[in-house]
Amino acid sequence: MKQQGLDSKADPTGEGVQSLFEYLHAEMVTYVLSKADNDKEEELSRLEWMGYSVGYRIIERLSREWSRFKDELDIIKFICTDFWSTLYHKQIDNLRTNHHGIYMLQDNEFRLLANIGSKGSKQYLRESPRLLAFSCGLLRGSLANLGAVSTVTAEISALPSCIFHIKVQRM
Amino acid sequence: MTIHNLYIFSRNGTLLYYSEWNRLNKSGITMEEEAKLMYGMLFSIKSFVSKISPLDPKEGFLYYKTSKYTLHYLETPSGLKFVLNTDNGAQNIRGLLQQLYSQVYLEYVVKNPLCQLNEPIQSELFKQKVDALIKHSQYF
Amino acid sequence: MIVLSSTWRDSKRHLFKFSQEMSRAGSRLDSKKVNSELFTLTYGALVAQLLKDYENIDDVNKQLERMGYNMGIRLIEDFLARTGSGRCYDFRDTAEKIQTGFKIFLGITPTITNWSTAGDEFSLCFESNPLTEFVELPDHCLNLKYCNILTGVLRGACEMVQMEVASWFVQDQLKNDSVTELRVKFIKRLEDAIPAGED
Repeated sequence: MKQQGLDSKADPTGEGVQSLFEYLHAEMVTYVLSKADNDKEEELSRLEWMGYSVGYRIIERLSREWSRFKDELDIIKFICTDFWSTLYHKQIDNLRTNHHGIYMLQDNEFRLLANIGSKGSKQYLRESPRLLAFSCGLLRGSLANLGAVSTVTAEISALPSCIFHIKVQRM
Repeated sequence: MTIHNLYIFSRNGTLLYYSEWNRLNKSGITMEEEAKLMYGMLFSIKSFVSKISPLDPKEGFLYYKTSKYTLHYLETPSGLKFVLNTDNGAQNIRGLLQQLYSQVYLEYVVKNPLCQLNEPIQSELFKQKVDALIKHSQYF
Repeated sequence: MIVLSSTWRDSKRHLFKFSQEMSRAGSRLDSKKVNSELFTLTYGALVAQLLKDYENIDDVNKQLERMGYNMGIRLIEDFLARTGSGRCYDFRDTAEKIQTGFKIFLGITPTITNWSTAGDEFSLCFESNPLTEFVELPDHCLNLKYCNILTGVLRGACEMVQMEVASWFVQDQLKNDSVTELRVKFIKRLEDAIPAGED
């Protein structure tokens, strides 16, 4: 009988399970939109909520072996680098901040948009925001668990790049 | 060497995609008719080839060749059909057809949740990637 | 400490550009493990959402199967493109290919067992299952087929390669069985569509 359990030789980079995630995510988007009556915004919030609950849990696994972050900017930098490259293959390209709780994270080729839009084309621009709602929630959930309560929105002006806007609530 | 044109058919015969590069002669019929004739011909050749085969046909029909051009054929187990016409200098281009499937169709149709399978492919990114792959191939 | 490749400031804002290589020394996260957990947690969040959206648990099971079907028709192309495999010779070949699929996409190798004498039914046994890694079923969810998405995936994937199959769970570790057992049955071979005007 063959040995069971996690087989490390199969799929050493986790590429297979990443594809699996993408197919699952696509189905979740379809499902959520099929539930929509008229109010698309409200339906996308279901995706955002699912992302939030995943983000809240997964960040513990990502950051547990590390000492506490120095400050809020340190958390954001971690999100832009190790967190992003582990989940989305690459780091955030640009981070802007006003140093008062507002951050803009720009990814020039976001993984969930990379197979969809070509540079300089407006095709799919209208449909694309639905593919970011889950990721916005994931980001918000992760930040919440690290102690930064925030709102996260996404902006797409030219595929496949996008900007995540984070606004941290100050007590 | 030259690549003339490409057809991609779904498993039930819908023309998913057509593109041409160096096609000098037109068939003189509409694209719709041409696609229907092409699909019907492929279907007939395929069933004839396996019916008449004196041995287990394995992969079956791979290509045909005229004095001017070669038609190369790849069918995936899922029934997708890739058809590429080239001049007779380009032989053994199965690898290129495989690449069209695994590097372009998979990445930019299957992995694009906004593309429906079995419907004509609208994605501009897909078109660009097909074009780039063909033009950069050694057979172009 | 993070080293920024270049930073500059304008009057009000700070801009950080991240170089590709920058990361804390030795802090490379185990990408495979994290992505596997991402999938597991995302699936869990989906099941939780469906339980909220539907009153009837049977409807949740059905919805999971439907979503699995839609995933299956795409996953099969991914599988075929990755492995370059051809059509199945027989149902035993199919069983092995399904096993390979689990290995590629979930990193597990279920055991193929309990063949029916006619050779048209087998079981896949899972000792560990990443889908259920963090899961405990609450009492009011005992009818929930938590992994039912898998039955849909198999149906969709096989249909695309001209095979109609049915599958169902006969044992489930979430319900205190010692293994999870998925039974797969061959129904029939689907024929190629004949183009109009031919016969």
